[in-house]
This record gives sequence, C-alpha cells and structure tokens, in this order.
Amino acid sequence: MTRALYNAARTGLAEILAHKTRSTLSFLAIAAGSVVFIDAFSAIVATYARLESQKEVSGMARMKISQNNSRSVADVDDYQPPPVITYDDVLRLKERVPGLYMVSPEGTNWRNVLEYDGQRVLTRVAGITPEWRKRDFVYDLKGRFIDWHDVDQKLRVCVLVRPAPPEPSNAFFKTMRQKYNYMGGYDMLVTHNDLLGRVIKIDGINFTVIGVLDELPPSRKPPRIWWSGGDYKALAPVTTLMHYGVLRSHNSLDVSIDAGDEKGFDEAMRLVRNFLKVRFGDEDFFVVENQMDAIKESMSRNISSSLVTISLGMLAFIAGGIGIMNVTLATVFARTKEIGVRRAIGAGRGDIMLQFIVEAVMLGLIGGLLGTALGWFWGVPAKVMLGMPPSPIKVWMPLVSVFIAALTAFVFAIYPAWVAAGLKPAEALRAE
Amino acid sequence: MILCRGLEKIYEGGKSGWPALRGVSFSIEPGEFVAVTGPSGCGKSTLLNILGLLDEPSGGAYELGGLDASRMSDGERSRARLHRIGFVFQAFHLLNRLSALENVCLPMMYAGETSDGMRRRAHELLARVGLKGKERKTPLELSGGERQRVAIARALANSPKLLLADEPTGNLDSASSREIMDILFELGRGGMTVIMVTHDRELAARAGRDIRMRDGKIEAHRGGDK
Repeated sequence: MTRALYNAARTGLAEILAHKTRSTLSFLAIAAGSVVFIDAFSAIVATYARLESQKEVSGMARMKISQNNSRSVADVDDYQPPPVITYDDVLRLKERVPGLYMVSPEGTNWRNVLEYDGQRVLTRVAGITPEWRKRDFVYDLKGRFIDWHDVDQKLRVCVLVRPAPPEPSNAFFKTMRQKYNYMGGYDMLVTHNDLLGRVIKIDGINFTVIGVLDELPPSRKPPRIWWSGGDYKALAPVTTLMHYGVLRSHNSLDVSIDAGDEKGFDEAMRLVRNFLKVRFGDEDFFVVENQMDAIKESMSRNISSSLVTISLGMLAFIAGGIGIMNVTLATVFARTKEIGVRRAIGAGRGDIMLQFIVEAVMLGLIGGLLGTALGWFWGVPAKVMLGMPPSPIKVWMPLVSVFIAALTAFVFAIYPAWVAAGLKPAEALRAE
Repeated sequence: MILCRGLEKIYEGGKSGWPALRGVSFSIEPGEFVAVTGPSGCGKSTLLNILGLLDEPSGGAYELGGLDASRMSDGERSRARLHRIGFVFQAFHLLNRLSALENVCLPMMYAGETSDGMRRRAHELLARVGLKGKERKTPLELSGGERQRVAIARALANSPKLLLADEPTGNLDSASSREIMDILFELGRGGMTVIMVTHDRELAARAGRDIRMRDGKIEAHRGGDK
C-alpha cells in the first residue's frame, strides 16, 4: 500500500508539473479557502481571548443602579426632585445584600474646574471608594490609589488619569477628537506636568495628588467586548467630594455591582431591587441595569460574527473542492486512453482510483500550504502594515487548515476517481 | 490454455445491436503461436480484447487456464491481466510522459515489485529487445520499431504465459516489422503462447496456426487443434 501510494504520488506530481496552469488555478481555489479559514480561526481565538479577558477584567455578573431619567410626571407643576442614592444608602445596601464581590459607588456632576500653577482647565471628577479598582482597572498606577482611610476620614486626596498618546488614526477621527475633546486642556496639563505629590484645586478646594493612573496604550489594553467605565479624569473619595460640596445633595450616586459569579446573579439582582423598593418605595426612581445580559449579548454577537467568517471559509473550501473536482474530471476525460493502457497492463480499479485521489489530494495539500502562507502573510505582516491588530495565529491553525484542504480535495476527488475507475478497459483504449 | 465455446459479442447500436462475434469456438494449447487473420471489421480485435479480459462476451463461454472468465470479478480480471497476459498493440499505447524504462516498470509497479527489482528487470528486458542505452528516452524520441520493442518489453515485465499482439507491425516499415516479428517468434519458440492478430498473410503463414475470420465467424483454420 505504501509503495502504491508512493507511485501514485510520483505520477500525481508528474501530472501536476505537466499541467502547470491548470494545477495553479486549482491551488489558488483551495488556497483561498485556507486563507479565509485561518482568518476565521484566528478571529474565533481572538474572540475567546476577549471573552476570557472580559471575565477577568470586567467580570460577568455585573449590574448598575442609576437614576431613572425617563420617569413621566403627570403634572409638571407637581414635579418633585427624585430621591437620591447617598453614600449611606450604599453602606446599607452592602449590609443588606452581603456577599457581593464589588459595590462601587460613583458620583459625578460631569464638569469641574481643576487649577494648577495658575492654569484653570475643565475636568471630570468622580467620587469613588477603593472598590472602584476591583473591576475594569486597566491602568498603570504611579503613587497610590485611594484607600478606606481616605474615604473614612474624608481626606482631600485625588488620583489623576493621564491619557495614553492618541493612536494614529484617520483625518475624520482627528477632526472629531478636536471638536469634542472638552477636556483637551486637562489632557495637556497632566501630560506635560508631573503632578504626583502636588496640590491642585478642584472647584476651588485643595487636593493632594496621591496617584496618577496612566491609561494603557491600545496595544497593551486587555481586549474587551464590553466596557462600563465612565470617562473620568480625576478620582477622589466620594465622602470627601460630598463633604466639601463638589458633589451636591441632588447628585445621586450610581452603584456598580459585581455579584461575584453568574449563578448568584439573579438572586443578587432580586435582593438589590428589593432593597431599592424598601428604601425608596414602589416608584421606579432607579433602574438596575442587567449588565450580564448585555455582556452575554455582545459575546454571542462576537461569536456569531466569527461563525459567519468560518462559514465563509467553508464555502471557500467547497468552491475550491468543486474546482478540484472539475479539474480532476477534466483530467480523467483527457487521460481516458492512459487509463485504458494502465487497465490493460493490469491496474485494478483501486489503482486507478488511488491515482486520481492522490493527485487531487496533492493539489489540495499544495493549495493548503500556499493558503497557509498567504493566510499568515495576511494575518500578521499585512494587517500590521494596514494598522490592524495582527491575528493570533496558533501553530495548530495551519495544520488544521492544510488538513481540511487535503480532506476537501479527497472528498471532491472521489466522484471523478470513481468515474475513472469505472471506465471499461477496451472502451478506454479506443478513446482518442 | 484457452477454450472458447460459441463466443458472441454484440455492440450496442441500431435496433438489435451490431454483432461483432457470432459463435466463435476454438481452443489453444500452451506454447502455440496462433495468428488470427481476416479483413477489417471481421471481429479479430474484438476477439483479442475478450481473450485478454479487456472486454466481456455477450454470449458463449471463455476459459483461461481452466478458469471461467464469466465468473471472474473485475479485480480477478485485472490480476489475470497483470500476471498472466501481456499486450502488444498496433498503436504501441506507451505513456509518452514516461521514459522507456518507466513504461516497462509500470506493470511491475502494479504488481508491487520493489523499485530496485523492477528497474533491474526493466533494464534486462530492454536489453533483450535491443534497446540497451535507450532506457531514458521517451517514446516520442524513439522510432516506431523501437516503441514497439518497448511495448514488448513492457508486455513481458511480469513474465506472462500468454502474449496478445494486435497488429503489432501494422504501423511499422518492413525492416522494423521483421525485427518485431523475429522477437515475437523467438518468444513463441521459448514456450510462450502467442496470439497475434494480423492482416499480413505472410506473417500468418509463419505462425504455427492460423485462424481466419470473416463477419464475426471463423472461416477457416490452419494447423493446431480446432
């Protein structure tokens, strides 16, 4: 059998070399399948990496309490300002719903003024607790972060966020950044001054900068499919901001919650809702966003887009397979006399089938190898040159891709090979 | 060695088909040199295809070496062609992409011979038919007579007992024809059963036996056991 395979491979190679154009077209058809397949595989791997990183960095069992901004009021003259969530409410919530991994209050009034060395710039300060860094903490920290002592003692300390250098991007995005970056002055200030340990003023109150959070450049940011962080520029203890009036009494705190694990999520959500009902009554002053559903939905969107790519790869392979079938059938008809000669001198049907199948599988293998090379070229150097993230091509991907290419060729060669083997020797010999 | 009883072959076409053989019966003993003669279309080549297991008769019985050909599977027929029958065709039927040596190796390759073994034997056979030194040439680089010698060497590759030659000199000039016939008669004298289809009365006369056909039937027999 090995000898027969070897002989069939030799004949196949000679045949492939004798018909270079025909063979090249067959390779290309299969190679196209390989390229798409490798791209699809690496897209799926990237998706799963994003999912894993998502779970690790952001957690899955997330929910968020925030004010309901779309409540309808029967009579505008009867309008009463809605109740607010205070820091005490957050502490009570932690007490009533124990076992939550993270309960992170965030308070902001969106526009603050930061003063340093005579410069006044717009900024956005968020009042937080140390819980904040449990999730979505994708920064390099210089100095230290806000701790419970700062919160309990309402200390005037803050942590500033320093933006990563902007990515090279197209002219449109540059214009948009120019047009909408209200905090451009802040970005310049923190980029060009080392403020760690310095005293700055926020809305006229002195704060000591105890830490600087450097945003990670895009290349180092863990990939995520969902993002819940607010675009804050400075962080300070929530208690301090409330005590010094940076946050006013009408500013309600948002509360980001991580229930810890997916199993306990529904129960945690029920308890949180229950807490709000007991505290604020039946009216829907607050909404509890089920962020786990949002995360899961983005995950399934990501996976289904990868599946679409995979099915495109499969289609490309099928097209390549049909190409190989066509070429092999043409070869069978062009070589009918040769088949007759081989049969006359003693080749069995199996020998003839083997010959055509091996020849097609060789076309598939060469096409698969070519496609793998092209797939790698497209996935790594080409994408990098085009400014896209390189595809995470694993060692097994080329192997699987070449295997599938060969398997496709094998499957699609069966029919033509069967036709060849079924030719009657005497009739085949008479063929012109 | 060969026993035919009432062989018939009807090719499809027309209302009732086109009969190529109409009840052909004869037997051939091992070692006989038999010429099958007759005008074009008389059924000589059809008979040779059936004897060589390349085609199946529509009726009658054919036994090769005591085996009923009608009971043989396709695989058994292939194996019989591989080991017991050698073919020489008028049009040579060599594979032009392969060298003379590789053409001779082909039957041995299907028989599972080792690479060294088949090359050694192919060299011997080519030397035997007078083509020493031309092993690397492709059929397109050889003369008609040389091509037919390659075909004979190929037919002898697996040491068959039966050699079937269909107009082996039909495409050759007289000098080449003579050389080819000398080789075939030599093989016959060596004990091989040779059945040769030919138009050439002179050649037929040199055979030990002549089966003359007309319109799908045996018209006359000369020599041997009828």
